[in-house]
Amino acid sequence: MSAVSAKMPRSYVPYVLLAVFVFFAALPAMKPPAFAESFLYLLFFWIALATSWAIFSGFTGYVSFGHGAFYGAGVYTLANLASYWSIWWCLILSGLVAALLGVAVAAVVFRTRLRGELFALLTLALAIVLSTIILNTPIDGGPGVYLLGVNLPSFYGSQASTLYLFGMSIGMLSLFVAWYLQRSKLGRALFAISDDEDVAEILGVPTYACKLIACGISSALAGVAGGIHAVFVSYVTVSGTFNLEVPLFVLLMSVLGGARSWIGPAIGAVFVTVLNNTFVSGDSALLVRIGIGVTLIIATLYLPDGVVGLVQKFGRRNTNPAVDPVHPAQVEQPAAQQRSTTQAMTATGETLVQLENISLAFKGVRALDGVNMEVRKGEILGLVGPNGSGKSTLINVLSGFYKPDTGRIIFGGEDLARRPGHIIAKHGIARTFQIPRPFGRLTVLENVVVAAMFGAGGLPERHARERAMHYLGFVGLDSRASALPSELNLHQRKFLELARALASGAKLVMLDEVLAGLTPSEITSAIAMVRRIHSADTTIVFVEHNMRAVMELTHRLVVINQGKMIAEGDPRAVMQNPAVIAAYLGTADAED
Amino acid sequence: MISATLLGQSLLSGIFSGCFYAMLGLGMTLSWRYLKVINLAHFAFVLIAAYLTYQLVGKSGLHPLVVAVLLIPLFFALGIAQQALIDYYKVNEFASVIVTFGMAIITEAALQWFWSADYLKLESHYLRGSTQIGTLFLPIGEAVMALIAVVMCAAVWAALRYTWLGKALRAGLDNPQIAASFGVPNRQLSYLVAGVSGATAAIGGIFVALLFTLAPSQIFAWLGVVFAAALLGGLGSPIGVLAAGLLLGVSEALTMAVIAPAWAPVVPFTLLMVILLIWPERV
Amino acid sequence: MSDLHNSAAKLSRRNALQGGLALAAASALPAIAQGTGPIRIGSTLALTGPLAQTGILHKIVGEIYLKQLNAAGGLLGRQVEWVLLDDQSKPEVTRTLYERLITVDKVDLLIGPYATGSILAAMGVAQRYNKILVHHTFGIPSLAKYEMHFPAWPIGAFPEKTVTNRVVDMLAGKVKTVAVVTSKFPSVHFLALGARPVFKERGINEVLFLEFEFGAKDFGPIAARVKDANPDLLFMGAIGLEGNQLLEALEKLNWTPKNHFYTYPTPGPLALSPLGKDALSFTAYEDLPPLNAAPGAAEFGKLFTEAAKANNIAYPYVETQTGASYSAWQVLIHAAAETKSLDDKKMSDYLKKNGAPTIIGKVRFDGPNNYGDDLMRIKQVQNQRWVLVYPDEFKTPGAKLIVK
Repeated sequence: MSAVSAKMPRSYVPYVLLAVFVFFAALPAMKPPAFAESFLYLLFFWIALATSWAIFSGFTGYVSFGHGAFYGAGVYTLANLASYWSIWWCLILSGLVAALLGVAVAAVVFRTRLRGELFALLTLALAIVLSTIILNTPIDGGPGVYLLGVNLPSFYGSQASTLYLFGMSIGMLSLFVAWYLQRSKLGRALFAISDDEDVAEILGVPTYACKLIACGISSALAGVAGGIHAVFVSYVTVSGTFNLEVPLFVLLMSVLGGARSWIGPAIGAVFVTVLNNTFVSGDSALLVRIGIGVTLIIATLYLPDGVVGLVQKFGRRNTNPAVDPVHPAQVEQPAAQQRSTTQAMTATGETLVQLENISLAFKGVRALDGVNMEVRKGEILGLVGPNGSGKSTLINVLSGFYKPDTGRIIFGGEDLARRPGHIIAKHGIARTFQIPRPFGRLTVLENVVVAAMFGAGGLPERHARERAMHYLGFVGLDSRASALPSELNLHQRKFLELARALASGAKLVMLDEVLAGLTPSEITSAIAMVRRIHSADTTIVFVEHNMRAVMELTHRLVVINQGKMIAEGDPRAVMQNPAVIAAYLGTADAED
Repeated sequence: MISATLLGQSLLSGIFSGCFYAMLGLGMTLSWRYLKVINLAHFAFVLIAAYLTYQLVGKSGLHPLVVAVLLIPLFFALGIAQQALIDYYKVNEFASVIVTFGMAIITEAALQWFWSADYLKLESHYLRGSTQIGTLFLPIGEAVMALIAVVMCAAVWAALRYTWLGKALRAGLDNPQIAASFGVPNRQLSYLVAGVSGATAAIGGIFVALLFTLAPSQIFAWLGVVFAAALLGGLGSPIGVLAAGLLLGVSEALTMAVIAPAWAPVVPFTLLMVILLIWPERV
Repeated sequence: MSDLHNSAAKLSRRNALQGGLALAAASALPAIAQGTGPIRIGSTLALTGPLAQTGILHKIVGEIYLKQLNAAGGLLGRQVEWVLLDDQSKPEVTRTLYERLITVDKVDLLIGPYATGSILAAMGVAQRYNKILVHHTFGIPSLAKYEMHFPAWPIGAFPEKTVTNRVVDMLAGKVKTVAVVTSKFPSVHFLALGARPVFKERGINEVLFLEFEFGAKDFGPIAARVKDANPDLLFMGAIGLEGNQLLEALEKLNWTPKNHFYTYPTPGPLALSPLGKDALSFTAYEDLPPLNAAPGAAEFGKLFTEAAKANNIAYPYVETQTGASYSAWQVLIHAAAETKSLDDKKMSDYLKKNGAPTIIGKVRFDGPNNYGDDLMRIKQVQNQRWVLVYPDEFKTPGAKLIVK
């Protein structure tokens, strides 16, 4: 199916944005009434605020109630400096101060993993604290700051036009940045974080840094918009700057338009600003307010995913021909598979990973208790044990999901224990999840592209797409590349996990119960798949309850029970080990 | 040099504020957790109830208890009606902010329409004055409000803790289909939560009318701090919202007494940030 | 009828005295005004949002004034129409809407919006278009730098000094200590900060100085500190309800201030509450003799009371806000009538030179930043009504200043 090509289509968006920018930049030459400039200024001002908010909060899903703080930092930076420095420096500083604040806040806040709503609370608190500080220090002190004699450069011979151009520029800049980010590597990282931050991290996304950068960009844009707005209102007060209007309105606009899209917040901003500023008759002020309320409600009820969500829904319906809902049978004929699938590579005996004395306890329960083991280059290592024995915990430690309490994980001469997940991924360790955890709102293709871009391979986008398509073909999902994971069945989602792990370019792939929940025929094809993966130069750790598959596939077996390694060696020999038999008694066949 | 009386009096004042935040926050925290509705209209409900109380007590001369008997069922029903709308249109958590914000805008305008934008104060003899305990003065109105707030939080907590309600609600949250197959009436339960939330708004509104001066623009006067109390207390936790409300109220009041009133918000909200950063998993 | 609007009335009287025919004057006027049809005066007001309670008052006053003006023949022989927009209590919207009024609606004249931030925003627009801007109640004279702005509310160029001194004069040594408690709302904060050195100069000991955030809800601890300080005078930088809120908190401590002064209280709640007894404030105008003896003032008072009652306004009497609002219209129309023109520059020159008669009194614009004399008087709540108690010549008949 040719609907999805490996190449990203060239976008016409920058040209459109440029044309729009040129149009609005030339507008003052047509001598529109000053009101038009002023109104458009407000429009672009809100576009800038809503879009900048969405760059962090919309893309990552961390809803901030503190956008007013970054905006306010910009407002007060300019208000305090405008009489000393040129407007250009002031605006740059407004952006810088806001960005520094944003990065500093993010740096502190994201040291711990904060649930979304607590992040919202924290940012709300930040805005309140910041406004109180400004109110009680010479930054404002109470009387407000009146911006007298700010020296604006004069475009089109009018300060009002200049201000309009400033506002329009920051609005358009925010749009461009949002568009660019959405397609960029960082943008993908943010969307992945939004969908499943833990998975993003172990696929190699440096989530902490990404959040910091995004928060910095978002704050910087809000800060510059704030600086411009300080000149626009010319008299800034704490209660006027830090009220709930900014945080509430940016959220409203973004959700109304579609917060995960670069253009959505702008659509919402235009909608709300036009509503608020067009109907201003003094005689029916109250009726107008009621009308605005009703409009907001109706718009939301009928557009639950925002305007952009609606457009995409129709878009998907039209471009996505009905696909076979039953899992495809292409698994047997992988499109891009070149190598022989029958001859497995043999283990070299060389150590790939060395685990030394790995222990981990949860609230006093020892999940892992001094595990020493190695994974050898080129082997398929079976990792078995009864339920709750610590197999999955071990995988979680190896992939950086959990940090061990003690011990070392030597990989490529480096100790990776307690390193962040994305570093481990970069070294070439990838995994799948027992219950698949795809990024729910990214397409199948994008899911794999993220892994290819951020994993050990670290490919640039173009190559990442090629590689992603290659591995989608390999697992037989190439025809579903533009589907959403929710449209796949369990079997397909497991294969998507596989494609993600493979596309990351990992040297070591850990498969966590890939066979669980599959039908016998699916199991057969999955076993074949694992063989093919192995033949492609990949070392595999294979966690499984299905003993038939384990015996068929693995070169070596490690048995874990109660957090300890109880046996290790040739699969057949290990299964005869009395300790292993004891550990399994009564439970060995529970799964199969 | 701060006198013990001043400190004690401020502490009392903070406790009352805290209980008031909890009274308003109880409905918010329940609907946020169990209905996934971030209900800005809660404050609209509170203000409508307050204006109705103003009208019925101040103008029609009814006893506040009679007004409570009238308003609590009315707002229970209003809460259900709102939830029915949200259910019908399957409004998600974020969209619920907009929908309920729209409701709040409409309410603000409607209140201004009927009662003008002017400040209105219910001048009544109910719950006025103070009793003296040692050197401290205990304002009757605030004390009754605080007591009722505590009773409300405790009652909801007990209902969630000791009846099957809590379990059923949590099961419904985890997996509505499975819960339903075990006979959990998800929809009825969600209406119950919405109704209770509406009823707490009615009680809150009655005390807003008795203790404060009304203006339509006051609609979001308590939004920030009530949000904070609900979140800090842990969503869905009646005792949590009370504890968080008290923490915010008391630390604010003590800052006003010991440092300066203008710095009041800094201490509780800095405290809140510190708590969030040190024990994010406890909240 | 002719006393409803004194400048228009004066104009027609003079025409009559000069022996000219009324008809001739009427036909000459449109030429002067460069147009036919109604004269349009534009403004915004905070009709919704947090400042709406006061914005609505200005709307009622403007409607009454224009009805009177038009009934008396309008301005320069033309009817006058008010293009009123809702600025939602937001300065940036005010700015945009004043630009709309000038460039889209093309109004002939402007009149001010309500509240410091919005007035400054409107002033900026007026300055860019060289429009005269008469406004009602602006509280920080030092911020008003535009040469064609005209404050109808005569607080003088340095109200923080002149008003405070007047209060101290009035108290005549009976007060030894003061507690200054102020909201950090700009215009209020400015007055309270300015009052502190005056108290010091005049030998009144400041026993407590507290600032609180505008919008504060919990006044318990503030009240406890005020009670602790036990001042002879509570001087409160208060706007809106803050005075009431502090008094309610003080009542719960069984403490009432001996003497208490508030800067910008919303008149209704303070006067009507039993706690507001003896509260002091300053005012330019109250609908009470002898102040309402000015031409047209009594009738305005009556019309306002009717309209306010119909609009559910708690304190349905003309007071400083509404008095200044009416005066602003008088100043604007007076300037146009006297110069027989709608020319901003001419009107402005005229006002600077001559000032304007209003119900408040003769308002002058010849001092710093176009501020003239401080015409503020002191009022006190007595029997749930604000009455004038100082200076003596404005004292309401039967009222007596109560100082403890």
